[in-house]
Amino acid sequence: MEKTILSVKNLKTYFFTKRGIVKAVDGVDFDLLKSECLCLVGESGCGKTVTALSILGLIDTPPGRIVDGEIYYDDINLLKCPREQVRHIRGKEIAMIFQDAQSALNPVFTIGDQIAEQIKLHLGANNREAKARTVSLLEEVGIPSPEEAADYYPHQLSGGMKQRAMIAMSLSCDPQILIADEPTTAVDVTIKAQILDIFQQLKETRQMSLLFITHELGVVSEIGDRMVVMYAGKLAETATVAELLNNPKHPYTAGLIRCLPDMTQVKDRLESIPGIVPSLIDPPGGCLFHPRCDKALAICSQEEPPPVTVDGEHTVYCHLYSH
Amino acid sequence: MPMKKSWLRDYIIKRLFYAVFIALGILTITFILVRIGPTSPADKYLANIAARGQDVSQVVAAIEARYGLDKPLYEQYINYVGNLVRGDWGWSFSTSMPVMELIKTHWIYSFQLIFLSSIFAAFLGILIGILSAVRQYSKTDYIATFFSFIGISIPNFWLGVMLILLFAVQLGVFKTYYDTSIPLFSLANLKQLILPVITLGTAMTAGYTRYTRSAMLDNLRKEFVRTARAKGLPERTVIGKHVFRNAILPLITIIMFDLGGIVFGGAYLTEIIFGIPGLGRISFNAIFADDYAVVVTVVLISAFLILMINLATDITYTYLDPRIRYD
Amino acid sequence: MTSYVSRSLTRYYWERARRNRLAVGGLAFILFLILLALIGPFFTVDPTAANFEEKNMPPLGFTIEESVYDLETQQFTTKSITGMRQHPLGTDNKGRDLLAMIISGARISLLVGLFATGIAVALGTLIGTVSAYLGGWTDQILMRFTDIMMTFPFFLLFVLIVFIFGPSLLIIVLVIGLTGWTGTARLIRSETLSLRTREFVMASKALGASDSRIILAHLVPNVISLIIVIATLSIPGVILAEAALSFIGLGDPSVTSWGMVLRAGQQNLDIAWWVAVAPGIMLFLTVLAFNFMGDGLRDAFDPRSAV
Repeated sequence: MEKTILSVKNLKTYFFTKRGIVKAVDGVDFDLLKSECLCLVGESGCGKTVTALSILGLIDTPPGRIVDGEIYYDDINLLKCPREQVRHIRGKEIAMIFQDAQSALNPVFTIGDQIAEQIKLHLGANNREAKARTVSLLEEVGIPSPEEAADYYPHQLSGGMKQRAMIAMSLSCDPQILIADEPTTAVDVTIKAQILDIFQQLKETRQMSLLFITHELGVVSEIGDRMVVMYAGKLAETATVAELLNNPKHPYTAGLIRCLPDMTQVKDRLESIPGIVPSLIDPPGGCLFHPRCDKALAICSQEEPPPVTVDGEHTVYCHLYSH
Repeated sequence: MPMKKSWLRDYIIKRLFYAVFIALGILTITFILVRIGPTSPADKYLANIAARGQDVSQVVAAIEARYGLDKPLYEQYINYVGNLVRGDWGWSFSTSMPVMELIKTHWIYSFQLIFLSSIFAAFLGILIGILSAVRQYSKTDYIATFFSFIGISIPNFWLGVMLILLFAVQLGVFKTYYDTSIPLFSLANLKQLILPVITLGTAMTAGYTRYTRSAMLDNLRKEFVRTARAKGLPERTVIGKHVFRNAILPLITIIMFDLGGIVFGGAYLTEIIFGIPGLGRISFNAIFADDYAVVVTVVLISAFLILMINLATDITYTYLDPRIRYD
Repeated sequence: MTSYVSRSLTRYYWERARRNRLAVGGLAFILFLILLALIGPFFTVDPTAANFEEKNMPPLGFTIEESVYDLETQQFTTKSITGMRQHPLGTDNKGRDLLAMIISGARISLLVGLFATGIAVALGTLIGTVSAYLGGWTDQILMRFTDIMMTFPFFLLFVLIVFIFGPSLLIIVLVIGLTGWTGTARLIRSETLSLRTREFVMASKALGASDSRIILAHLVPNVISLIIVIATLSIPGVILAEAALSFIGLGDPSVTSWGMVLRAGQQNLDIAWWVAVAPGIMLFLTVLAFNFMGDGLRDAFDPRSAV
């Protein structure tokens, strides 16, 4: 049994706005094991990015605030320890990469500078050492002519290269955990395949845990070991990827999988889940999915479903299974 | 570190040629203005001569020869430009010396005023601007914005008079005029420059604060700020290095752009109010002595200075922003 | 990202409301000023009327000690002078009523502000739109010319021209107007350039409209809001320029403007400080009012441009 390297318990991150309190993340639990790839899956707006940002303490605090929960990294509760300590963990032990590499990179510094900056900060390297390490990192992610590439500015690189550079930057201090926020969403298909290859490669060569955020089930099936499905700020279902994709228990997850176009069959219409995502300021009572659920029971509009372990590691939050 | 741009050299050369073109344009316009005026330099000179009771007709002949007024217009123009290029900027008869000489002895006063004010304004303005942006909507921000509004709106010549009223007349802390007997590189000189620098610097500071705040705010919203924080960089590095380095680009252009309006005009007035014998003041004195050459020359010099500063700014900006490319 | 209305957006609306309060305040002051300028002269004495008996009187409610040479005792004695209701703001060293001078100054500043800005903005708009619309050589030449004009330090140019042509109010208005168009021209040009490629212009062309018609009937109305903002924000600079010119002695000697009063005040700073304070405050408030209003207008027309 692999060791748990990150443990999120009952995380609640709310945004306090004039229109009301937006419960972006409302009671999320999951564990990330060492060397595994855990996929955080869900539609846009379900709270997956906010969860990731909460782990690293990157929530903009005037409107947002983590109101409850614990996040344990290596026995340290990240939400309770001093900011300076969290800052030392950021980038060094837990790294994060973002969706759009062009805007995530600083346009006025070379990528070499941006990568070396982190190495010098966290590892105390001097310029020469940092440069050498930068070059080897760029090579590791498959950027050709890494020595020259280090002197390029972000706008001089193609989309795929930028993405790789960002990955290289995140790996620079050999983090234990890499959080990737939809790294393949904004790129086209060929680059997507390349990026996924890189992640596969990283999984094999480094003993690194990967928290992979995405809404694309295809990507999940390729790269994930386990997956967590979120809906409207809460958890819907957790299982290994194989188990969940073959045997989805939660109606929402089942619906998501059904929505995937099936190339082997002839159909007239694509499937979709009727209805829209609920407002996070004024959520419906009980299970948040019940207005759209075709299997809803009476209890679903009254009580929130508790987690039910269906089968080994497969956990569902649904009243269909809670008795 | 900015990248090596091979096309930069060609761009600089192009800009230099353009600058020469503008310089000629400036000269031409000034020339036209002077020549189409109701009174010509000769007339003003003549009035002076007549007042002194000398023989007019002889002097007229001499002037015509000297100023080439008997020659056709285009030839006058060529002589005019030629003279300027050769360093003959005319004769100031109100001070009985070549204009060039006059400039040489007085430019330092203008320079020290403008230089000190600019440094003061830049430091203060940028600092407050950054603070204001980082703590947007806080009390610091409101106060800073409020003061910058006031700073921009207060007429700088009135500010000078009020400062004199308060500190020199009522409180007696400073003298009411500038004492040139004090050596330039002394503390006493610095002391007597305090009020003038505040006068000239206030509007500049207010402007810099506003622009810095705006530029910083624009960049604070950007994605790369979050990346920088995610890398575990201390906040002061995030703001001071990553954000500021991006904010400084539009800032440079805006600051230089303002130069012609606020700084030179303001310095002119400040020199007059405080009696600082810089180029502004001697030009002003020359007006009341009808000393054409001095007045025109000071205008030309300031225009050329602005031209050079614009050129330098352009090139600096191109050098600093790696995304720019002209070729 | 989750869909939420961040608290900073709320603050943004609050900022706009607050700004608008200032803008309204500015408008109120300007209206007051206009009123003052229009009807003030009927209620006050002639600002140029010198009355040496009553020179150097402080404003109403103030008392100063003045050192007076008494002819009888052949010594300096101190005499107390208190402000009179007749001269609510006091008098200058020639006995001219300060209130009357301030009111006269208001008229001058508003007139100069109106006309000089009008000329500058009109000229700038014309050059900007024509340049952007016609493009090509016209654009090049006009923009080069604009570049040249912009290199002159404005105030020194004013001084030079007033020096050459003489200090009359007409000259001052003309020179400020004929040199102040450059900023406007640039702004209008870039706005027009972006408008030029919009569909309604192409549609007009397709319908056969002439260039001048397109410019006047289509492009100009769309930049009107920009013009209004530019004009409002240009007026303070114009007023200050005229005041500065008068202050240094290059103003029109036949009119009483605020700059002129300030000049008189500076010369007697030690014995009659109110003469220097009053015009400055008026200038300051006027500039502030136009700045607030201009900012408010700019926010109203384009909420994206915030400083």
